[in-house]
Order: sequence, then structure tokens, then C-alpha cells
Amino acid sequence: MQLREIAVNRAAPGMGTDAETSALVVQGLRKTFQRPAVDGLDLVIRAGEFYALLGPNGAGKTTTLRMVAGLMPPDAGSITIFGIDALAKPTAAKQITAWVSDEPMIYDKLTPLEYLAFVAGLWGIEPGLAERNARELLRWLELAPHAEERCEGFSKGMRQKVALAGALVHDPKLIILDEPLTGLDARAARLVKDVLLQKVAQGCTVIMTTHILEVAERMAERIGVIAQGKLIAEGTLDELRRQAGSKVGDTSLEDVFLTLVAEPAP
Amino acid sequence: MSGDTALHPRPLAWLARQESRLSWRDLVWLMTAGYRWRSRSVAIWLIFVAVAMHFLAYGMVARFAGVTEESGVDAFSAVTGSIGLSFFLMLSQAVEQVTRLFYGRGDLDLLKSSPVSLRRVLGLRVFSVAVSTIAMTVFVAAPFIDVLVLRGGPRWLCAYGVSVAGGLAASGIALVLTAALFDLMGARRTRLASQIVAAVIGSAFIIAIQVVAIVSIGTLSQSAFFQSDVVLAHAPGPQSLLWLPARAILGDPAALLIVAVTGLAIFVAPMLLLAGRLGDYAMAAAAADVATGHVLGKGMTGFFLGRFRPSSSAGLLRRKEWVLLLRDPWLASQSLMQLLYLIPPAIFLWLSYGSSAGGLVVLAPVLTMAAGQLGGGLAWLAVSGEDAPDLIASAPIAPRRMIAAKVESVMIAVLIVFVPFLVAMAGRSIRTALIVAAGIALAAASSTLIQVMFRSQAKRRYFRRRQTSSRIATFAEAFSSVAWAGTAAIAASESWMALGPAAVALLVLTGAWLIRPK
Repeated sequence: MQLREIAVNRAAPGMGTDAETSALVVQGLRKTFQRPAVDGLDLVIRAGEFYALLGPNGAGKTTTLRMVAGLMPPDAGSITIFGIDALAKPTAAKQITAWVSDEPMIYDKLTPLEYLAFVAGLWGIEPGLAERNARELLRWLELAPHAEERCEGFSKGMRQKVALAGALVHDPKLIILDEPLTGLDARAARLVKDVLLQKVAQGCTVIMTTHILEVAERMAERIGVIAQGKLIAEGTLDELRRQAGSKVGDTSLEDVFLTLVAEPAP
Repeated sequence: MSGDTALHPRPLAWLARQESRLSWRDLVWLMTAGYRWRSRSVAIWLIFVAVAMHFLAYGMVARFAGVTEESGVDAFSAVTGSIGLSFFLMLSQAVEQVTRLFYGRGDLDLLKSSPVSLRRVLGLRVFSVAVSTIAMTVFVAAPFIDVLVLRGGPRWLCAYGVSVAGGLAASGIALVLTAALFDLMGARRTRLASQIVAAVIGSAFIIAIQVVAIVSIGTLSQSAFFQSDVVLAHAPGPQSLLWLPARAILGDPAALLIVAVTGLAIFVAPMLLLAGRLGDYAMAAAAADVATGHVLGKGMTGFFLGRFRPSSSAGLLRRKEWVLLLRDPWLASQSLMQLLYLIPPAIFLWLSYGSSAGGLVVLAPVLTMAAGQLGGGLAWLAVSGEDAPDLIASAPIAPRRMIAAKVESVMIAVLIVFVPFLVAMAGRSIRTALIVAAGIALAAASSTLIQVMFRSQAKRRYFRRRQTSSRIATFAEAFSSVAWAGTAAIAASESWMALGPAAVALLVLTGAWLIRPK
């Protein structure tokens, strides 16, 4: 079954001329809590790319993504999403962005359909189109039989699928996911992965953090490794192997990752 | 780990220590919201409150220190009324705690999988409910009892004994009530039902007394009611068993003994009778918590959000807030509970409708105060109790617009609640109704603004503990509501002195704005 391409009649205000080449450009991004969480991070993600961001616990992955999604202001640096300065024009940047976290934050007292109607309304999607998108997503994510039930009785996997449907109902150009597969069973995880790959095939850009290295290895076109708030390695799996000093085609991502993060950040 | 430790289950005393440590940490968390640095200021604050309460108690009860058993039925009636009020508050607290005992702790799986008897642990926890109910009652009653002891002699110390007996009895009855709800409604509905029962019990007695007082003697005063001719005419003779708790408080040792034994029996009997089923209730509660397939649909409120239709983002946010509130009976009952206290003034309004408009003046502060409290509660739910903060923060809406929409949702909800009162008032005096409307709007808007200034991120289920988010916000909200209530009352009396409390309310708002978290 193919997820049909969701069309949205929406203007993307403030789009720059280089929007087609770079989905996300992050420069000199910094955020300090008790210690630097993100420390001068530079990152470029191409449009239509599936990018996995890896790193040990506390490396700064979630903080980075939360700043990109507009959930947290950086202390310094710039974030450009499809040519839009996300710090200067946050509303325009958010219009083409979606955020999914590891802990699905949905409204227990709403049904999935109501939740999607609410999200589509927030993003200003035309109602008829929003309803078609919502029903398509619910069907694709096997939530259609539960479309009129309140989410309070849902399992973690079902809640995560509702959250993912919410992220996709407004057809974002950039989807930011923080550990979206945590706690999902094999079937739900497969569904979520399939949906994300479909979206990338349709031209959407995905940036995702994960601790499941196999997922990054199989799905991502490029992988970034972050440690102590800095990007310490980036590239395809073969490029990462070379950066880790391993033999191409001979080492798993897990070995490469452990080698890279074992070395002190430059 | 030694073999001995592994083979011998821990004794009851060890479990009791463990339970008391958990309860103590719960209490500390409730007061400090988990911030260690708050412990010292909380301790200072508690000492300040205790001292202030003693002064307040002195002003309120010192003149009654000479009351004795010989003072007659009118003294018994007044004391029994106070005991009744305290007991229903204790019962309300105990029902809530017993419910939390079955649903609240996340350690049931650990306990069930351990060699410890679940029945003994739950029995211990019911006992800890009694201890905490007694402790809370004593904390509130102590200043009054101390003043009476100071002025009237040590016989008043018996009041502490009555407090203990009352706490035990309240806990026993709470256990029976909760067990009855489990049997009648099932585990899934019991939590909500018992929370509502607890809230209603806590307010029902005082409201019922006020209503009867208004209807019978035309006053809102409970103390005047208990000593009124109407009550005394129907009161039993001085030897009635009804006066036993009052006699015990006034220093009759035999009465105290009977009250203490009765309280103990009311606590122990259900414990013994229900001991074998406590584990079943706990497991049913745990199963209800994790059960899936609990299908609830849109219901009537689906009208607000159920359809895809053109709408502004502000309109969507407003409707979302209303739907979430209407679909959560516990939250709705908690936030609207204050409205129950409007029943007595509503009856007062109804009864005095035919008399002069002057009677309406007394309603101005009541309605204004209630609007401030309701507005604050609803604003906390809308602003701090947002269930999907990431979704809202990542949506393409300016934060200022989002906050404005939430404030509008609160103000409209408050307006809907108070309009019937204002219309009734306007029928008698349009001028008074306009003044009260302004008071309601200002009080609700001030409380809402304070909640916006001190917004934090919290779960909606912590609504009852929202004051721990910010003590400053809690007090600022209370002070501003009181100041606006005073303003409305004086303005309704046609005096320019109303500008005084209005200035205080504005000062409170300015102060809150200056010290708000940046």
C-alpha cells in the first residue's frame, strides 16, 4: 500500500532562493545549561534527505533538534530552514516543519480525528484537504478503526502513531523526529519507518535521532555523530567508516559509532 | 547481599518506617515542589503561619474559653456544629487519600512480586491515611485548642483527643465508602467517583448549613445558625448522645473515653472486615489503569472540535480548552467546585429579590472572589496544564496570539458561569449588576494574568497541587481576588473608598509582574 502524496494548498512565506538545495543549515549553534549542551554546532542537511543524528546520552542531540523545531531559543548561532531564518521568522519556519518527540504529547480526551482536525487547523490547512489527509494517514497507520475513540485508552505505540499522523497531516517539508521508535513494537516501528521512507521518497526531508543504530544504518542517507555538543563525524556509512579508520564494508555502524565517540571531541 | 536478608521477609516495623519515609517525602514535595532550596523558606513560612494562626485563633475563640458543660444546649450546639464541619473536611481528605492509596503508588507490581504480604502493606497504608488525616486536623485545630487551653485551662486539651478519634473514624468511613464504590461501580470508575465524592463531602456540609441558615433565619453565618432559636427548638436535651463529642471537647473524661473508643472501633472494624479484599481492590485499580480498549467517544462535546471546518487558530485553541475541560469530569468538578459555594448567595439573592437592592451589596464580594478563584484555576489549566506543549510551541502561531487565545477561553468560560447571577441582579439594580460585572471581570482577568506571568509546565492531573508551581502566584492570585472583592463591595455601597482596595489590587499585579520569572 502506498501513502498517496498529500497536497497542501499553502504558501510558504519567506522562502529563499536556495531553499531547494538545503533543507536545514545550522551555524555556530550554542546552548548552555549548567554546562554547554550544544557547543558551536554546524550542520547542513540537503532537501529530500534522510539524515540520522547519533550520539551518546547527553551529547546534545535533543537540544539541537528542539532548537531547530523552535521549541527552545539558542544562546547563539543561526538556523535556516529552506532559506527561512528560523530565529527571525519562526512562524514561517514552523509552517513547513513538524516535530515528533519520543514521548508522544497528544490530548488524551480527544479522538485521533479530532486531534488531527485541531493540528490541521493550527497549521491553517484547508478543511476538506485536511480531512482527506487525516483519514488517509489514519488508514495508513492502522488507526482508522480507532478514529472516533478517545486517545486515553491507547497504548504507547498507538499514541506515537497519532503523534506522527499529527506531524504529517499538514504535509511538512522538514520532519524532525527525536527517538520516534522508542517503546514501539516491531509492527508499529515498521509502519512508522515505512511512512518516513515514503515521505522522503515524496521529497520530504527527515532528520531523526535514534539509539537504534540498525535503523540509522538502513534508513539514513547520511549520518551525523554528535558528542559533547559538537558534530564529530558526518557522512554516509562508508565515509564514517573511513573517518573511524575502519575498513570499508567490513565494520558495522555500531563499531564505527563506538570508535568515533570514544575519541575526544576535536 | 547476605543470605539472611534474602530469606527473611522484613518485619512490619521496617515497612512502617519505609511507608512513613515515602509519606514524608510526598509531603515535602507537596510543599517544596521538589526544590531543595525551598525547604528553609517553607519551614520559615510554616512557623510564620503557626504564629499568625495563634493570633487569629485568639481573636476568634478566646472569648469562648469559659464555656463549660454547664453552659447548656446552645453551647453544645455551637461546638457540635464546629465538630461536624471539621469532621466532614477530615472525611473528604481521607476519601481522597484512600483513593490515592489504591491508584496512586506505582510500586504495586514490586510489592506483589515480593514475599511481603500485600494485605499487611495495604493495611499499613490505610493506617498511614489515618495518621496523616489526624496530623492535618491537629495542625489546623492546634492554634484554636492552644488558645482555649491558655485561657480556659488544661481541660481543653481533650479537644486533641477528639481530633484523633475524629481522624480515625473519618479514615474508617472513607475506607468503607471507597470499598463500596469499588463494588458498585468497578475499579475504572471508582477513582473519578471517589474524587468527586471527596470534593462534595468537603463542601456539602458548609453549603447545606448556609442554605438552611439563610432559609430559616436569613443569615449566612453558621455560628449564628447553630445558636439560633430555630435550631435550639429542635435540639435534643442536654443528656443526648449527640452532644458526646462536644462534652468530650469541653473536658468530660467519660465522654472523651467513649468518643475515643468509638472512633477507634469505626476505624478498626472496616479494617478487619475488608482486610482480605484490600489486595483485590488494589489489583483491580492497577488493572483498570493499564487496561486498553476503554472506548470513549466524542459525545456531545464533539460538536466543538469533531469536524474539519474553517476556523482561526485562536478559535481552535479556545474550543480545544473547553472540550478538554468538559470531557474531564474530575477537572471540571474541581475547577467548578468553588461554584458550589455560590449556591448559598444565590439562594440569598433569590430570597431577597423582593426586598431592597441594598441586600445585593453583600453578594458583590462573594461573586467577585469566586470569579477570581475560578479564573485562576481555569487559567492554570489552559496555560500551565497544556498536555501537548511541544505541539503548541512548534505550531506556526506567535506565542502572544496563543496566550491571548487561552486567556479568551478562560474569560469566556467565567462569563458564562456568572451571567445568570448578573442578569438576576440587573433585574433589581442595573447599577449594582454593572459594578459586580466589572468586579468579576477584573478579578478573573487579574488571576488569569498572574497565571500567565508565572506559567510553568505541569500535568493537568496535578491541578489540586498547582499552588506548588509557584507560591508567589498563589498568594498574588488570592490577594488580588480579595482586593477586587473589597473594591466591588465598597463600590456597590456607593463609596469612593473603593479606590483603596482597587489600588491594592493593581499594586499586587504590578508586584507580580516585577518578580515574574523571566
